[in-house]
Amino acid sequence: MNRLRRLVHFFGGPAGFAGGCIAGLLLLSSIFAPLVAPYDPLAVNILDKLLEPDETHWMGTDQSGRDVLSRVIWGSRASLAVAGFAVVIGVTFGVAIGLFATWVRGGWLEQAIMRVLEAVSSIPLLIWAIALVGIFGVRDVQWGPLTISSELKLMVLLGLLYIPTLARLTYISALAEVASNYVAARRLQGVGELRILFSDVLPNCLSPVIVQATLMLAIGIIVEAAVSFVGLGVQPPTPSWGNMLSNGRNYLISGEWWLSVFPGAAISLTVVAFNLLGDGLRDRFDPRHSTTMGYAT
Amino acid sequence: MAKTEGFFELQDIRKEYALRRGLLQRLRGGAPRVAAVDGVSLSIERGAIFGLVGESGCGKSTLAQIIVRLIEPTAGKVVYRGADVARLKAEEQRTFRHAVQMVFQDTGSSLNPRKRIRRVLAEALAARSVTGAAAEGEIASLMHQVGLDAMLLRRFPHELSGGQRQRVGIARALAMKPEVLVADEPVSALDVSLQGQIINLLSDLNRELGLTIILISHDLAVVARVCTQIAVMNAGKIVERGAPRQVLFHPTDPYTRMLIASVPRGLAGRSRRQGLGPAAVDGAAAPEDERQAAAD
Repeated sequence: MNRLRRLVHFFGGPAGFAGGCIAGLLLLSSIFAPLVAPYDPLAVNILDKLLEPDETHWMGTDQSGRDVLSRVIWGSRASLAVAGFAVVIGVTFGVAIGLFATWVRGGWLEQAIMRVLEAVSSIPLLIWAIALVGIFGVRDVQWGPLTISSELKLMVLLGLLYIPTLARLTYISALAEVASNYVAARRLQGVGELRILFSDVLPNCLSPVIVQATLMLAIGIIVEAAVSFVGLGVQPPTPSWGNMLSNGRNYLISGEWWLSVFPGAAISLTVVAFNLLGDGLRDRFDPRHSTTMGYAT
Repeated sequence: MAKTEGFFELQDIRKEYALRRGLLQRLRGGAPRVAAVDGVSLSIERGAIFGLVGESGCGKSTLAQIIVRLIEPTAGKVVYRGADVARLKAEEQRTFRHAVQMVFQDTGSSLNPRKRIRRVLAEALAARSVTGAAAEGEIASLMHQVGLDAMLLRRFPHELSGGQRQRVGIARALAMKPEVLVADEPVSALDVSLQGQIINLLSDLNRELGLTIILISHDLAVVARVCTQIAVMNAGKIVERGAPRQVLFHPTDPYTRMLIASVPRGLAGRSRRQGLGPAAVDGAAAPEDERQAAAD
């Protein structure tokens, strides 16, 4: 009982704990998709097409007779990978750029960085996506030994577009921290500016970044669905929640609701789980919520 | 008028800020400038408690930041032990940094919310290359010196009261083994009952360690009680200076007279304890009940 309580505290409360559990299950099922999925997600069986959910196909089958449950489970791989890597790229470079802008504050370089970030973030994602497809095409690009797949293109593009928001978030909190008295006290101890930035300022800037990152994870899954129209992201027949959803849209009027409802539910569940997890982690890493005795409720 | 030989001297210090106008105007250098500190010269003796008084916005905090070199003056010299601090070599810079420490007004932001008190002090000592068992011993004696229980070392800043946080701030400054301590409004954010305790602590440190203290305050009563020398600042300039008794009872400057008149004499408790009676000016010992309160 006590161990469970401490686990709940680690996630910053019951809500964060629930989010962590769901997110963990999703991750596990996507990693062990070959073991968990009842059917091959690519196996076409025209005789079984568009079956309603029953005991053999829990989520029904699609227009090619493929098992929807298996495709939802396999689809989590592509969706989580695209969204996850994009967030990793965004957080890594965003935080680094935000701190760098704080470090060179007061000069022209700071102004240049912030104006460029604003320029980048002023253009909507879909425009970037179309431009990227226009330049590199829909198919995989061979670049030396590297194969740049459509998924990788989307991951990098999403990551790059996440950078401005995260950089600005870091920069704004870092500026506030840099002006505080505890930073002044560190300077009076003769500690170098860079060391202060990493050991004192950075940890105090991370809470808003963590929250934003979990939101962006959710946005990434939905965006992956949106841009597969223009040929970026996961391409058929490989399943992703995004392309399943856009496929299911064609069958909404004719009544095959299970094609869009289940991938949609998977997206919603993931988004809610990661948001809860993010909120919980923010509380967890805020020392004002913790005491020497335990964690305040 | 500035003496050539002194412990700590400010010579004709001036700090200007450009008013924030449009980008183009700033780049052309045409933006109007305002002087926060306007030609201040002071000489502070070793072992003194020097009081700097003035109302909010008169430039005393800017002057404090110049004294500890958090900001550089636009013009003028800071002289410490006969050397211009702007021209120190790297090694001497470090010595100066450690020798001149500061206690801040806002106890809430003066400690990193993520660091337990032990870490705050350990990091200060580490900056002086004191680590391990030596640091442990010194942390314990610092806590004792500022009158805090060693139990509090495990706490986060938000788990301490304002008065306790201010004591931690003083301990952190003392960890650098300073010669000069600049206290910028150290008590204005505290309850009146705590103000006396912190002021007494500073006064004790001055007596026991020979620490030179520059006490900055808008409160004449606080300054008059412990200082050996005071200077009154108004609109970036020093308008009057001298022994507290002389400044308080024979003010020559109209601004000083106004400042003295603004101290609420009518409040009986205040005038007896921290007011401007001769006993307070002579730096009489604190009442017993304050000592008692400091012990808990």
